[in-house]
Amino acid sequence: MRFADEYRDSELAEMLGRQITSLCEPGRHYKIMEVCGGHTHTIYRYGVQDHLPEAIELVHGPGCPVCVIPMGRVDDGIAIAERDGVILTCFGDMMRVPGGRGSFLEANARGADIRMVYSPLDALRIARQNPDRQVVFFAIGFETTTPSTALTIKRAARDELDNFSVFCNHITINPPLKAILDAPDLELDAFIGPGHVSTVIGCRTYEWIPRDYGLPLVVSGFEPLDLLQSAYMIMKQFSEGRAEVENQYARLVPYDGNPTALAICDDVFTLRPFFEWRGLGSIPNSALQLSEKYAKFDAEKRFALPGLRVEDPKACQCGEVLKGVLKPWECKVFGTACTPESPIGTCMVSSEGACAAYYNYGQYARERLTLEVLQ
Amino acid sequence: MTATEGSVCNPEEGCITCGDIAVVLTVTSVAGSDAHCIDLQGRQEWVAVELVGAVEPGERLLVHARVALELLGPVTEG
Repeated sequence: MRFADEYRDSELAEMLGRQITSLCEPGRHYKIMEVCGGHTHTIYRYGVQDHLPEAIELVHGPGCPVCVIPMGRVDDGIAIAERDGVILTCFGDMMRVPGGRGSFLEANARGADIRMVYSPLDALRIARQNPDRQVVFFAIGFETTTPSTALTIKRAARDELDNFSVFCNHITINPPLKAILDAPDLELDAFIGPGHVSTVIGCRTYEWIPRDYGLPLVVSGFEPLDLLQSAYMIMKQFSEGRAEVENQYARLVPYDGNPTALAICDDVFTLRPFFEWRGLGSIPNSALQLSEKYAKFDAEKRFALPGLRVEDPKACQCGEVLKGVLKPWECKVFGTACTPESPIGTCMVSSEGACAAYYNYGQYARERLTLEVLQ
Repeated sequence: MTATEGSVCNPEEGCITCGDIAVVLTVTSVAGSDAHCIDLQGRQEWVAVELVGAVEPGERLLVHARVALELLGPVTEG
């Protein structure tokens, strides 16, 4: 197949659904977590769950980076942006993430200079264009995005820029998966592994999951048929008594990832001993900071930061949603006090967040439509 | 080297980092460690290629945030 439409063929989807159903053991319930926010978005947008039997429950994982950023880090970003002469840059979804002192958008309205960029390289360009200003990139994302930040820092070092730095919030995918597997309140049967993250880190890195926990993991692409085929591969493993790492997305993901990207990331970053994840708590070795070699580009060293820990709003149940314990619509404020237009929790901010995806495409929208028809 | 008006950050269409989004682009020319690329809709942008090694016009790249993550094989028919 060459074109996106071919990965959205409804007849093929129905056929895959029937094959998946035929592999289900009667009376057994299967909980499969899709790790990545992009997968969650596809599942709701294209109704992937509708092609699966009731015995298979898709559980949404912590793979949306802005959904797991703690409020205190947002406040730290605002503290940087409010300093004289600073331009803070960030990806678009970060603009609306609520912190204890509001969002970046609200800080902009109060006079801070916070700009949306598509790439950390764009932040570097802004630094070159504004030599009398300090330009800070609010770096966030899993291993797909980390290499672009690392490369940008290396270019800043090559060009000896002294008005560019990075506030690093990059996180890694394996530690939260272990935290979820060790949590007592959720029993999973398998993972659908992230796609483009795995182009960087490969598939071998997940082999501890079948080895230590006996669960299959299938790295998946982002189209509806990719996800259905991944579900089929997982069910095939169950039916044959196997638990392995498999690669459904082999058209883009090499099994060992990109060694050059990994080497650059190892050079520029080191692991933080601990990092706070919204909803999951403090997870050891789950995030990155700049290495000593590139410390001069570390915004946390360049600027004094409050570094406060801010509790999530009591009404917000993002933590349970991120762990897959609650479905989005089971949160007390879902669709009422918390909407994409006025989010309380981070899962409602990004269109890849489980709550926003469900709100925009899911059952909630269908229920609303039904009510309108009945009236 | 600055990017042309290709991809922009638009949260309404999905955030590239939250959605783990990467796109396939075709190289049209190379200048140092950057490659000028085009997608099927004709959108163009400059892409950093340090992570994939030397590239040539006509080759396809998997790109995230203006950085090439993979050098892809040629398109096959069928």
